[in-house]
Amino acid sequence: MTDRGKRMDLEPDTVERDLVKLVLTVVELLRQLMERQAGRRFDTGDLSEEQEERIGLTLMLLDDRMTELRERYGLRPEDLNLDLGPLGPLLPRE
Amino acid sequence: MTGLRYVYAVCHPLGAPLQAQLTGVAGAPAKLLNHHGLIAVVSHVPEGDFAEEALHAHLEDLDWLTDTARAHQGVIDALTVVTTPLPLRLGTVFRDDSGVRVMMEEREADFRRTLDRLAGRVEWGVKVYAEAEPEKAAARPAAKAASGRDYLMQRRQQARATDDLWQKAEEFASRLHDTLSAFAEDARLHAPQNPALSGASGRNVLNAAYLVPREGSEEFVELVDRTKDDVPGLRVELTGPWAAYSFAGDTGAGA
Amino acid sequence: MTVVERREIALVDLLDRLLAGGVVIKGDITLRIADVDLVRIDLNALISSVNEQVPSPWGD
Repeated sequence: MTDRGKRMDLEPDTVERDLVKLVLTVVELLRQLMERQAGRRFDTGDLSEEQEERIGLTLMLLDDRMTELRERYGLRPEDLNLDLGPLGPLLPRE
Repeated sequence: MTGLRYVYAVCHPLGAPLQAQLTGVAGAPAKLLNHHGLIAVVSHVPEGDFAEEALHAHLEDLDWLTDTARAHQGVIDALTVVTTPLPLRLGTVFRDDSGVRVMMEEREADFRRTLDRLAGRVEWGVKVYAEAEPEKAAARPAAKAASGRDYLMQRRQQARATDDLWQKAEEFASRLHDTLSAFAEDARLHAPQNPALSGASGRNVLNAAYLVPREGSEEFVELVDRTKDDVPGLRVELTGPWAAYSFAGDTGAGA
Repeated sequence: MTVVERREIALVDLLDRLLAGGVVIKGDITLRIADVDLVRIDLNALISSVNEQVPSPWGD
């Protein structure tokens, strides 16, 4: 009993981890879409300086938060992806 | 004879004998089946592994698939020594000799036409990979952005650099494909390869096959070699010569 | 003949030929990015769930 208990303490629960991986992948997709969207509007001069600052700050904080969450579950950036078979990967592999 | 018939390829009667004791899939020997002067190269395989459902299940087992693919290739390779084979896809299976003969009968004209087209030709494979150079590839900015606006600018710059690379890669691949297609007799585009399966680094932007007369191979290889170091961040890989696997199918427009 | 670097034939290259040889791919399949408004609406909810302290950057 004690051995099994110890092992379960050390290893993150796989079911939870898989679920977190899936959720974070979706969040990461949205984060990338947002950044791309914001980047485009930044380029076209669509945003006021205040908007640029707020959006940029939000995206930066979102990025930090994502890193935190990833690291908490021992996930590397490459782990947050889905293989759609013939459609290729969900997120670009960089 | 019991078992199903696994067909590797079709060819003209052999001018020289096939390699003795040639073993193919499922460890079965490769045999020649002659029908109206065309040869089907065949193995007797167990129904338990090669009937439709069993075969589909096996195809999802990478180890089984690997062994079978390599065994299939082994037979094709042995054939290329004595003839120009028309390779069939992996898992082309028939009930018995009659089944094979019926298929040969139905496709005789097609096979003869294709064998003529492929005679004395080989296939070369060319792949192009695009990879951001390590110094530029940092996904996270080296210096932390000082403000929200800074962050937006940094991310925008990185995105633009990446887009530039992909665009250069597409243009390079396009030009290369045009050049090689012009030299070759025919070309086929395969889907970009999955890096998880290939273990290759970078993104596969071109995965093409070119049909070249055997005597033209040296020149073709030189043509590819000349482009190899042209653009930083782009890698060209050449494989071959292959038997004309990619050109055995129904004639579609090349590329 | 020019010496071409000989490596063990890669499984992927073999499978390209044995499983789908002769298939021509016409065009790309790309993931189209959602329309701006749609994305914005979804992401407002997302941002507040990820970090409640940060107000929505899209103002309105």
